[in-house]
Amino acid sequence: MLLNRASVGERWRIRPDGPAKVTGSLEYLTDMAREGMLHGLVLRSEYPHARIRSIRTDQAKRLEGVHGVLTYLDVPGLNAFGIARPDQPVLCEDRVRYVGDAVACVAAETPELAARALALIEVDYELLPVVAGPIEALRGDAPQLHPQGNALHRTSFRRGDVEEGFKQCAHIVEETYETPRQMHTYMETEGGLFVPEADGRLTVYSPTQHGFMDRMQLSRILAVPQQSIRVVSSPIGGSFGGKDELNVQPYGALLAMHTGRPVKIHQTRWESVRAGLKRHPMRIAMKTGTDAAGRLIAHRASIVADTGPYSTLGAEVLNFATEHVIGPYRYDHVDVEGVSAFTNNGMSGEFRGFGGNQAIFALEGQMDRLAERLGMDPWAFRKLNLRRPEDPGPFDQPIAATEGAVKVWEAIAECSLWLERGAPAESGQAMLEPWIKTGIGAAFTMHGAGLGVGIPDPAGGRLTLAPDGKIEAAFGYEEFGQGLIATLELMLIEQFGFAADDIRIIIGDTDAVPDSGSTTASRATSMMWKSLRRLKEPFASRLLERAASVLDAETGELRLGEGGIRERAGEALLLTYRELADAEQSPIRCETSFSFPTSPTDRVGAHFMYTYSAVAAKVELNVLTGRVKVLRQFHAVAAGPVMNPQGYLGQIEGGSSMALGFALLEDAVMEEGRYMTRNLDTYLVPTIADQRGAVDVLPIEHLPEGDEHGPRGIGEVGSVTLGPAIAAAIRQASGKWVTRLPVDPASLQETPVFLSEAVNGG
Amino acid sequence: MSEGETVKNEYDELRCTINGTDYSIAAPPSERLLMILRDRLGLTGTKRSCDIGRCGACMVLIDGKSVNACLAMAYQCGGKRITTIEGVAAGGIDPIQQAFLEEGGFQCGYCTPGMIVSVAALLGEHPDPTDDEIAEALSGNLCRCTGYGGIWRAVKRAIEARRSAAT
Repeated sequence: MLLNRASVGERWRIRPDGPAKVTGSLEYLTDMAREGMLHGLVLRSEYPHARIRSIRTDQAKRLEGVHGVLTYLDVPGLNAFGIARPDQPVLCEDRVRYVGDAVACVAAETPELAARALALIEVDYELLPVVAGPIEALRGDAPQLHPQGNALHRTSFRRGDVEEGFKQCAHIVEETYETPRQMHTYMETEGGLFVPEADGRLTVYSPTQHGFMDRMQLSRILAVPQQSIRVVSSPIGGSFGGKDELNVQPYGALLAMHTGRPVKIHQTRWESVRAGLKRHPMRIAMKTGTDAAGRLIAHRASIVADTGPYSTLGAEVLNFATEHVIGPYRYDHVDVEGVSAFTNNGMSGEFRGFGGNQAIFALEGQMDRLAERLGMDPWAFRKLNLRRPEDPGPFDQPIAATEGAVKVWEAIAECSLWLERGAPAESGQAMLEPWIKTGIGAAFTMHGAGLGVGIPDPAGGRLTLAPDGKIEAAFGYEEFGQGLIATLELMLIEQFGFAADDIRIIIGDTDAVPDSGSTTASRATSMMWKSLRRLKEPFASRLLERAASVLDAETGELRLGEGGIRERAGEALLLTYRELADAEQSPIRCETSFSFPTSPTDRVGAHFMYTYSAVAAKVELNVLTGRVKVLRQFHAVAAGPVMNPQGYLGQIEGGSSMALGFALLEDAVMEEGRYMTRNLDTYLVPTIADQRGAVDVLPIEHLPEGDEHGPRGIGEVGSVTLGPAIAAAIRQASGKWVTRLPVDPASLQETPVFLSEAVNGG
Repeated sequence: MSEGETVKNEYDELRCTINGTDYSIAAPPSERLLMILRDRLGLTGTKRSCDIGRCGACMVLIDGKSVNACLAMAYQCGGKRITTIEGVAAGGIDPIQQAFLEEGGFQCGYCTPGMIVSVAALLGEHPDPTDDEIAEALSGNLCRCTGYGGIWRAVKRAIEARRSAAT
């Protein structure tokens, strides 16, 4: 059944955070202000690559109203950050490696004064040759950006003997695919308020996807214990992976500690573009072959990623891409090699899909090309080669088995959009202007969730009957729009029987929540579900035991319900949660902590739980302009039970809009290490006019009997599958293969037949 | 005294109506309305995002028409009737806001105030707009979270709600 408001009935609920969002009364962390606060600004490098000869700050410091001008000399602890490897300088000392590198930061009484102070800082640079791309970075004569060289990370995976495999192939397709430097484009740029407290602690009000990770990184930089920092990190005006790494927090924190006053930072869009993360541009070469009957035999992939100047999660993204260029298909022989290279371009890092978007665009392109070579229906070709539920994962690792792959395959095979593809094209074409062509394509994704083998991936949460009688659910997760609060509320209502009014949800505050791990990698809903499952028995038992003692009853006669403890057999409310709390000396509290399940393998980055998705899309191409419109989309998603229908639909619709941008519009263009696209006038994201086509979403909730893992992640997969489906649809519409995203309209322009006839007098 | 200075003095005092209240604000004539609203008046429902009029996060109504507050300077606002998202919600949740709530026309919510202001401007002018008119009216409001599906549904629902209220 398609997912929509009508089909899900009462489970479609108004989000608890909705009223404050639609009325504008919700205070985002970048809306905060304090009496007497200062305004912070960061001086970023003028050049993509240069040596710093000197930094002179005297003039800036002398300016009245300026309270802090800081350089590397003022960083008390580790002058570096990075989730995986701290190699990005907080404030550069002797060298800058990209145009976002921070050299100094200032705090002043007004934003104008801060800008003036910034302009008064004199940095003497000696220009160095720019490493403008990953291929040149890996040449022997390239300037070396780090002591270990220009290769951040290399990966490889081998199964069988790929050369032998190609000898057995009847059909071989070779192609190279290129993907853009996509920008997250969260509407709220980076910022926040940094408040030194009277007790010597520091409160950081700034968006992030893992408050405890920020706290740890900031404690290293400030050289203070983690406990002396409080990170408040929700609500967030969009993140998509882009705010997981530290951004302006080190500068706000240093300036607040230095001046002893609250400091506000809110980056302009250009500062955000310049300093912020992007999706790794990748160049993926593939060679894939089948036997005469169309069975895949050998698959080789070579990935080159532009990771920019510092590590952040570049290695982990490459691991993910390495796994996902293999994907859900069976081959006897596989050979994958990947390299992620340092360059003087913008920072690449974590972004929804995490390397899967690029990998799957390439892999699905191979499948379509091979099917066409064989004269087969592309979907039938995929079925022939699709994994079985009991098959190991892409790295030959054990995975949590589901029938998701075949079920999403079947959903596409049966959907009206795919059936329309097989219908004679002429009947529809006759109705259209001669320069309008349509096409339908489909693509498949098997997307891993969780951080994978080799990376600590903690989870957990806490339930408390608070003194005021509220059921308090505390999780270290963040609300960046995905609907986490709404999902948690609905799970508490459905699993425990509470009413919405009984519940208080606490997230995004390191002083108030347990460390539940990061809100990334499509993991939070799965981990909240699992936490509640683990907490249900102990928490419910303790509430009922205490209630039984207050009521002088047997626990077997009682149950949890709306408003309080009710009689098991009926509806009667026997004891409100408030009355129960009043009767207790101390709050009733249960906490759980565990880890995201991982595969029993030593292959770093291998996943255990996967979401399967398949998308059919219909496009319209205007061959006069080369512009492509997406007319209809059908998404089948196998991710276990739907925890929050509105959130699920929103994640697939919203993710697919990012995929549409990735395929058709978006690229943060760089030349010689400088951004050419500096704001939203040249960096184009989809508007409502680009999203007029229907998007149907079919959730496939089936899980095997005895499955213990519950809902799989859906936060990222929506952003992955539509891209290659659009490329396949363009092939049907135009006869042209897409190898590079975003599609260049000029490559799809044609002189229509009627025009050439006119010219030729035909 | 030169003519330029006369003009400057005249505009140093911005007099306008914001959400039904008359204001007299001492502001440089070139100060952007966005900063006046957010920094001077604490009306932070109007959001800052691109600063160049391309995203619509700072959309407000000036005499009923949608305007990017990042592109309106103080001197352009003299004598005008300005409505921000706080003004749209002044009488409780507006039917447009209710439609966004019920259809899930928002996620992170950062674009939502500007989006709702643009919908209010549209429906103020065309109570029963075509899809082309909706797309045109909202194409200056970027939303990065929803993919616009929930926004389409919310706008349709708001139109429907107004229609039923009118009959």
